[in-house]
Amino acid sequence: MLAFLQVLSSGIAIGCVYGLVALSFVLIFKATQTVSFMQGDLLMLGGFAGLALHLAAGWPLALAALAAVLAVALLGAGLERAVLRRTIGQPHLVAVLLTFGLGMMMRGGVASVPAAAQDMYRLPFAADTLVLGPLVLAASHLWVIGATVVLALLLAAFFRHTRAGIALRACAEDARSAALMGVPVARMHTLAWALGAGLAAVAGLLLAPITFVHLNMGFIALKAFPAAVLGGLTSLPGALAGGVFLGVAEALAGLVLPEGAKDVVPYVLLMAALLLFPTGLAGGRGGGDGR
Amino acid sequence: MRRTAVLRPLLAWALLLALAVAWLGADFAFGQATLVATYAIAGLGVVVIIGQAGQIVLGQGAFVALGAYAQALLVQAGVAPLAALPLAAAAGALGGALASLPAGRLGGLYFGMSTLAFALIVEELLVRWESLTHGSAGLVVPAFGLAGWTAGTPAAQAAISLAVLLAVLAVCARLLASRLGRAWRAVREDEAAAAACGIAPAAAKLRAFAVGGALSGLAGGLYAHWIGFISPEQFGLVFSFELLMLAFIGGTRRLAGAAWGALVVVAIPQLIAVLRDTLPGDWARSAGLELMLFGAVVVGVVLLRPQGLAGGSGR
Repeated sequence: MLAFLQVLSSGIAIGCVYGLVALSFVLIFKATQTVSFMQGDLLMLGGFAGLALHLAAGWPLALAALAAVLAVALLGAGLERAVLRRTIGQPHLVAVLLTFGLGMMMRGGVASVPAAAQDMYRLPFAADTLVLGPLVLAASHLWVIGATVVLALLLAAFFRHTRAGIALRACAEDARSAALMGVPVARMHTLAWALGAGLAAVAGLLLAPITFVHLNMGFIALKAFPAAVLGGLTSLPGALAGGVFLGVAEALAGLVLPEGAKDVVPYVLLMAALLLFPTGLAGGRGGGDGR
Repeated sequence: MRRTAVLRPLLAWALLLALAVAWLGADFAFGQATLVATYAIAGLGVVVIIGQAGQIVLGQGAFVALGAYAQALLVQAGVAPLAALPLAAAAGALGGALASLPAGRLGGLYFGMSTLAFALIVEELLVRWESLTHGSAGLVVPAFGLAGWTAGTPAAQAAISLAVLLAVLAVCARLLASRLGRAWRAVREDEAAAAACGIAPAAAKLRAFAVGGALSGLAGGLYAHWIGFISPEQFGLVFSFELLMLAFIGGTRRLAGAAWGALVVVAIPQLIAVLRDTLPGDWARSAGLELMLFGAVVVGVVLLRPQGLAGGSGR
């Protein structure tokens, strides 16, 4: 039972990271109809930016993290203005390739910094454990879960109560009608990319104490795609729920199934979900928790 | 008119090969030609699926992997390499047919995601099924040979790959001009309209994936011999995307696009390696530069030549 609870907490924590990346993917996809294959690279960039500002430039951790998220969000907005804007209205594959190419450039850019290419780093926070009676939990896991809950609430408030959030939703619903209602659609696309990139960077910083910061940490985004698809690709709460579900399923599979089966679980679930629920588990209804 | 349309590019490619031999030395040039031709065959599978049938495929590397493993295991079991090649292609075709099954329920992007999942599952299986594939340790593949003769020199390998490429191109050209090719293009343009004309979209997609998978499986069979060693991570997601980029850089609407794309995908790392030696300083030696330039090429082509290098409005 104890082992089960501990596995569960780590599953939920890693699932939150999947969920956040899936959320960023869905946010961009909904608002701009663009499939982004560079969320993993933005995540990695966020982790490294925080690391560089904290360790190399000596900024306090909180400030460095905030600056890293803002910088990556700005990068997302800039990329949207410069190149990604051109993929609108083109086949999905164009965006897939474009974002993949951009992601390669980011990975290459980080890899050409010798200090970044060779080592794994850890951000010096949340390294200790929390003891609750017989239960030992990693503080980093609780951090991730807490931060995800706060972020989800913030996003929900943003989409419900702010002008920009409502405009963004209108844009995702029907860009043409939104434009007729006076929503600046192009600016909303930029905002969506900034938000998506920033969310990915947050996920990177949250992941930092769990898997360390290294060049290939972005591969975690590969598991965020199944999470996004499980949520139906167009539902924000669905994406988050899909991520947590996937994290827990994976962790439990590691506990129950033979060695190695754990890594296939997300994709088998993805296949099953695609075949059984072609519009996603949350498809059809807009519903779920946060909105 | 048709004859010059075939002859001119052939002459251009022959000239290119001759230049490469003269400039880079025969062994190196033939080695590169082998790789370009093999990649082109694999990329042709992407061109058929994406460019002709209009389906998104994100896991083409899995079909190459199936072909390569089928070839390696058959040759190890004592089957002659030449006899094993059709079976490698069949393994790829089977994989393609399997991967296309969700197309009946899913459309567009969702279906693309399912091919991605398929590829990742295949990769995991190859890693985990150790009694058959030796897992991550990989398999050693003996050289390609026929009745006592082995294709050990780069020139022989290049000749075999180029011959296979030409044969496959000819077959594909016939296929595209046939009823099936027309059905693919109809499905690509408008599935409902195609169905209204009596074309079964599901069957057309299945065949596109079977043909595309067979081409990639065939390339995998050859690749296994040329590299001499295969392991699951060679055929991972990065490889799938390499093939996707290959097809896009070359142009998905034309068969020749696969060859041009393969030239770019194989040649650019070489070119960067040459450039790297001329640059001063340590930073240029890192693998990051290569990745960055390659990414820049992809971004540039997608933005500036969305139809690919082979260009044209397609057939």
